[in-house]
This record gives sequence, structure tokens and C-alpha cells, in this order.
Amino acid sequence: MLRFAVRRALLAIITLLILVAIIFMLTRVFPSDPARQLAGPFAPQERVDAIAAANGFNDPLTTQFGRLLKSVVTFDYGDSFSSPGESVISLVVPALKKSAQLVFFALFLTLPIAIIGGIIAARKKDTLLDRLIVTLGLASASIPEFVSGVLLQYILGVRLGWFPAISNVPDNAGILTTLDYLVLPALSILIVYFGYIARITRAGTIAALEADYTRTAFMKGLTTSQVMRKHVLRNSLQPTVAVTGTQIGYLFGGLVGLEIVFNYPGLGRLTFTAATKQDFPLLTACVITVAIIFMITTLLADLIIAWMNPRARLNLGE
Amino acid sequence: MDWKRLDAARGSVGPVELDLIEHYAQGKVSRRDFVRRGTIIGLSMPFMGAIIAACGSDDDTGSSGTSGGGGDTQPPSTQGDGGGGGGGTGPTGGTLVVGIQQGDAASGLDPVNMLDLGTYNVLSQSFEYLVGLGDDGNIAATALAESWSPNESGDVWTFNLRPGAIWSDGSPVTSADVAATMDRLSLQGNAGLSGVIGEGSTDSSDPAVAVITLLEANGNFPVLVSLFNAQSLITPADYTDGTTLDQRPEGSGAWVLDDWDATTNVAKFSRNPNWWGGQTPLDSIELRGFADISTAVTAMQSRDIDVIQQFPVIGGEGLLNDGNFVVLSPPSANHRQVWFNTQQGQFTDPLVRQALAWTLDRPQMVDTLWSGRAEIGNDHPVLSSLPFYDPDAVPQRVRDIEQAKALLAEAGVEGISTQCDTGDIQEVPQLAAIIQQNAAEAGFDIGVATQSNSTFYGAAWCPGASATDPTLPCDGSAEFGIVDYGHRPTPDVYFGSALATGGVWNSSNYANPDFDAQLSNYRTSVDVDGQKAAVGEIQKILWNDVPACYPYFYNYLSGHDNSVSGVQATALGHTILSAATKG
Repeated sequence: MLRFAVRRALLAIITLLILVAIIFMLTRVFPSDPARQLAGPFAPQERVDAIAAANGFNDPLTTQFGRLLKSVVTFDYGDSFSSPGESVISLVVPALKKSAQLVFFALFLTLPIAIIGGIIAARKKDTLLDRLIVTLGLASASIPEFVSGVLLQYILGVRLGWFPAISNVPDNAGILTTLDYLVLPALSILIVYFGYIARITRAGTIAALEADYTRTAFMKGLTTSQVMRKHVLRNSLQPTVAVTGTQIGYLFGGLVGLEIVFNYPGLGRLTFTAATKQDFPLLTACVITVAIIFMITTLLADLIIAWMNPRARLNLGE
Repeated sequence: MDWKRLDAARGSVGPVELDLIEHYAQGKVSRRDFVRRGTIIGLSMPFMGAIIAACGSDDDTGSSGTSGGGGDTQPPSTQGDGGGGGGGTGPTGGTLVVGIQQGDAASGLDPVNMLDLGTYNVLSQSFEYLVGLGDDGNIAATALAESWSPNESGDVWTFNLRPGAIWSDGSPVTSADVAATMDRLSLQGNAGLSGVIGEGSTDSSDPAVAVITLLEANGNFPVLVSLFNAQSLITPADYTDGTTLDQRPEGSGAWVLDDWDATTNVAKFSRNPNWWGGQTPLDSIELRGFADISTAVTAMQSRDIDVIQQFPVIGGEGLLNDGNFVVLSPPSANHRQVWFNTQQGQFTDPLVRQALAWTLDRPQMVDTLWSGRAEIGNDHPVLSSLPFYDPDAVPQRVRDIEQAKALLAEAGVEGISTQCDTGDIQEVPQLAAIIQQNAAEAGFDIGVATQSNSTFYGAAWCPGASATDPTLPCDGSAEFGIVDYGHRPTPDVYFGSALATGGVWNSSNYANPDFDAQLSNYRTSVDVDGQKAAVGEIQKILWNDVPACYPYFYNYLSGHDNSVSGVQATALGHTILSAATKG
């Protein structure tokens, strides 16, 4: 397991390096002048030149790339272009916390419902209930989260007033108040991911239920509950764990539409703002942060799968 | 007519003021225009009241008027006590939450460099202008200057500063602060004061009096140092260029900035206990940025916010039909400028520009985009309700495809393939789509390129001045595009910044000596007739030259829950909360 973890960590570092190189190249595609951006569109040229010199914007590209690499390693991305005087990290960390709150609350709601739904569908394969869950899942997964978000916002937030329509959590809010503000965006995520995860769980469970080892377990006289717990779920949930691991990364950085609909100050909206304002240090920090989350969550998913399945550990090099 | 009182008044004023009084006494200007113009040149309300009484009853009521709506529309832009002072009559305490634009430009809270309504609103809570807002939506002595007056020729303006106005650190607001601010504004050029004042224009020898000498006479100068010139906020003398409010939260206004989130434009303020206007009824206010205006509308509908800075007609129907929502519709010259780059690209020939102007179906735009809540424009930025608007200067342009085709033929052009660059703001992309359809029939093949506003401003609208050619202030601007302009009570900024040769926002790169001459005539005219004559000529020049089309002036819509009172709004994005109450 240790060897596997070390190998994955090395791979992660290489991936990060490639990512940093891509970001560096992308930010050079934009036509804007960062010094002019920092100084303001109507600032005198002398001030623009002074800012360019102070920030090394005129340095050779290799020097600038080296600085970027250093900032990735030290997590010091300097000051934001679009928010003068604010360090990039001071902007990213609060947004990261906000995203974490939403993502984990959404997963807390989604995973049990979707997994149970998938298992029930598999156990009741080809029945009306199975078809209902599969069809419902397919339909819900095809609705983008910001579309269901707008609907939920209007019906449950504006018309019925059951939950806050906008997810601006008050300062110093307690856990219950915070969750109250997050219900609607979390439900929007649930609607999309229920179908996705339930169908994967269903497929994995059907495969496990039809496997030889399951038949053998039943023939040995184990109860259905024992078979499900000890043999089926351990195997059937591996695809679910793998998918969840990769999706967490997306949920941290990809919920731009949803975060705008609910005015939620998460990492997705921050990344979007950085891109539209051509705030390169902030954009770089956001993308790298999401990439690191991707790597951590997929690594964790692999480790969980390895723990669940001895054969996977063998494949991982143990 | 009470001649005795009128003569007494005549004897107590200078020639600029006397000219206005004579025009009013002779019935050449309405009461509303008399009050509006009188306020600009510094006549006090009691004095104007005496003149009006001396002249007897007049034609109109002087109401600023607003468009109607499904909701409870307030005729003036204010409700409750309003005005500059605090101390509304409603309950005290509490926090008011205002939904504002997130802001697009990357200026941060920099008073000199800011460009968007969201930032205007945040900064004007802590800083104040020399000239403030009156209950009628016009300028008034409700801010740092308690009175002002011009000299005989209108090129020197004296502002008497308000006693008791202090900065957060307890030091008084003095004319030295005004002088330093004016210097920064003249150097930076982003406030419509370029060409109006120069460095060292302000005499600050008396700390309580700021005497500003202009480069040339200007009859509307107080407007240029009012909240209708958003960047002209007075900041401390040692507030260097590039300093932001969050770095130095040291204002003189009703509210002190406690916290600001740069990425979401959420600003939290608490009451300034030392404000010259007294104690505000509310303890605190929160201005909450919204990246998307429809989300702000939803937040207002669900009452997650108490006040909304601005909302559109399309998408805002829920608010307009909400009986518990108070619509504020302050006077508005807000418009979209459809500019042509007159020196670079395919629109250098005025005939081609005229051709496109003739294709526009302006009533369709007003109906489709604003449900009728807009005034049709006629390719100049002069609102028809302004006292110096000349209704006979040029005929109203109405859609005429044959005329457009004939003009293109005369220009020797068979058809034009071009791109319309726009920012992603409110109805502007939809306006571009209508123009695209309107103009196609005459042979224009227009693609629409919509970008985020922050990208659009720097890349398409005004990339920067030419280093060599002073007539190219926006060298490389798109040959055809649409930009948004906020409200100003007089068109000085629209003329001087957007159309004058070398104007800092002149994306048309328009350089016409005749226009510049008439602009100078307008600025230097301190009498009503002079201003009207010059503006009439400007209307003609712009209508014929078409450096830009002005399809409409739209009604600005703001509002709040009916549990809130004392909120004032301007069509330039300000939400004045010093007298606001909630509950």
C-alpha cells in the first residue's frame, strides 16, 4: 500500500507540473496587459510601467514560469490582479471552505439515497420499482444542476418560503442555520447525482449478485443479509467509490452555474470570476487547488477500493 | 407678479443667476427647469421659492415624475425623510441588506478608477461628494458643500464646505482635501473632468472654502462634482492614486466600512458616529454583490435582501407586480451607445453610419426590451426633458430601409460584414441581436460578439490611447459596438468624455472640430439661451455625423420591500441609506 501511495504521489506531482505549464501558456494567450489591469484603464503610463517592473511582468518567460512553479510549491501566489491589496490565498481559502461545506453536505444527502436506490433497483431487477428508479435517475441526471436549482429556488424558496432562496450564509451562523441555507443547492446536486450514482451502484450490485462467490456464499448457508454485507456490497460499491472520488473534484470547481444561481461564494464562482477578470494569479491558484483536490480524492478512492478488495491491492503493487 | 419682491431678488444676485431669474420671470423656462437650473448654479431653495412666489403660479408642478408600474411606484426617487441628513422617522436599529451589482472592472474600491455601478454604490457609502442629491432627484446641497456660486463669467466656482464634516480619524474635511482630490481627478482623467479643470485648479487658502478655477467657463460645473459624476468623491488629501477604501476606510460619510469581500463584492458598514448629518436610524448596512441580476431579483422576491440596486423590466415582472414591493424610478438619462469607430475600420464614412442608423426599429427595441419603459432616442445623448433640448433641431429618425440602401449605394458600398462587440450586461446582447436583424435587410451582415464586461471594456471598448495620435483616445476600439452609459442630469460627460476629440471614453475616436466648438460654447454658456443654442447645434452635428446611435433612454428601476423607508436611489447606481429605516 505504501509503495502504491508513493507512486501515486509522484504521478500527482508530474500531473501538477503539466497542469502548471498549461495554465502558464493559457494565461499568455489573453491579450490583456496585467500591469495596465492593476493600474486601472486610465492610469498614467508611468504608473503602469512601474507596476510592470515591480511585479516582473517584463521578465523572460522562463523566469516567470519559475516564479509560478515556486508559488505553487509555497502556496504563495502573490496579490490578486482584480482585488488590489488582497493576497490570492486570502481569497481562495474562504471560497474553498464554502465549497467544502456545500459539497460534503450534498454528498451526505446524495450518497445514502443513491446507494440505497441502486441496491434496491438491483435486488428488484426488471421489476416496476427497478424501472422507476432507473428512469427517474436517468431523467434527473440529464437536468443540469443549475436548472433544477432555479426551479427549486422558485418553488421552495420564493413561492413556499421553506428554505432560503439565496445561499448567503450569515456570519457566525450555527451548523443548522448553515445547512438550512445550503439545502436548495444541495438538493440540486442530489437530483443530478442520484441518477448517476444509483445506476452505477445498481450495475455493480447486479454484477456482484450474479458472481460465483455470491452463489457460493448462499450455498454455504449464509443469510441474504450476511451475503449482502460481507460479499456483495464490498464488491459492488467499488465503482461507486471510484466515481464519487472523481466527482468530488468536479463539485469543488465545476458548480459555477449553481453557485451563481444561489449567489454562493464557492470555488467555482471564484474561478469563473478570476477567468472573466483575467486575474491570472487567482485563476492559477483556483485551478491548482481544484487539481490538488482531484488528486487527493481519487487517491483516497483508490485506497478505499484497495481496502475493500484484496485483489485491487495486488494490482496496485502490493 | 410681485415686482417689489422680484426686484429685491434681482438686486442680490450676480449676472448668471440674474439671467435665469429673467428667463423665468418672462416665462421662457418652466418652474421645474428654473428649480433644476437654479440648483445647479447654487440658488438656495428658499430663494427660489421667493422668486416663484413673486412671479405667481406657474405651468407645471415640478414633479420629477416616474414611470408607472404594477407595484407601488414612488413619484420622486426618495421616500420618507430622504435628504442628506440622518434621523428618519421610522424605527431605529437593525441592518439593511442591499443587493448590488457584483462589479466587473478590476479596480477594487479605488474611487478614482472605478467603472461600475456596484463599486459606485459601495464607495459612496463612506465617501461623499461636494454636491449631493435632493428629494427631486436633482442635485442639492446635501453633501460636503453647503452652498456654492459662480463668478460672473462662470469660470470660477466657490464651494463653502460644511462645518462639522470630519474624517474618521477626527480631522476636519478641508479645502485642501478638495484640492488634492481635484488634482487626482484631473490627472487620472476618468471622471469627466479632463479639459474642465487642470492640476492646481483649487485654491485652498481658506480651509472652509474651496475655490475652483476652471480651464474655461462651465455653467454646469456643480454637476461635475456631484454624485452624478461618480468618481468625484472627495477623499483625504494624502489619499494617493491607487489607494482603495478597504486599505484606508477613512471616509466622511454616514457609514464606516467594516469588511469587504473582494471576490463577491459584499461590503459591511456600521454607522459613523461622527457623521455631520447626525445618527443614522440603522445600526449597519450590508451591500451584497450579485454576479447575475436575475439572482438579485430572486433574492428580492424571497426577501433575502431588503433593497435592490437595479432590476430590469424583462425578468423583473415579479417585482413590478408585487404589492409589497416599492418601485423607485429616479430620473434617468441611462442609455446604450451604439458606437462606430469613425477613424478605423469600415465605418469611417458617415454615409455608412447613417445607413445603419436608418435601419434601426427603435419602437421595437423599446417595446421588446423595455416593455415601453424607455424613451426613443434620436442619435444624440440629449434627453428630451432637459431644458436645453431643442425639439426642432433634427427630425426623429424612423426605420427606412430604402434610405439606408440608398446611402450605402451613395457611399459605394454593396454590403458590410462586421461584428458588433458588446459586454454581457442586462439587455445589451439582446439589443445587439435586434440591430443584427434590423440591419440585415439593408445589406449589413453583423455578427454579435458578447464578452464579459471586464474583458469587453479593455479589449473592445477602449483598449487605450494612441501614443502618437491625440485624436485616437481609444486606439484599436472595435469598429462597431454597444456600451452602457449611466445617468447624468446634464449631458456634459456624454459630450466631453464620449464624443469630444481625445475624450477618455471616446470609443468612436470621433474628432470633429465643429462638435468641439459647439461643446465649448455649451460649456462656457452660463445663460439658458446660450446653452440651448449650442445643444441644438450639437444635436444636428451628431444626427448627421452619427459617430454613435442612441436608440433609447431607459427608465432606471430600483426598489425595496415596503417595510423599508427613507431610501434614495439614483439612476447611476447610488443607494443612499443615511435616512433609511426598516421594520
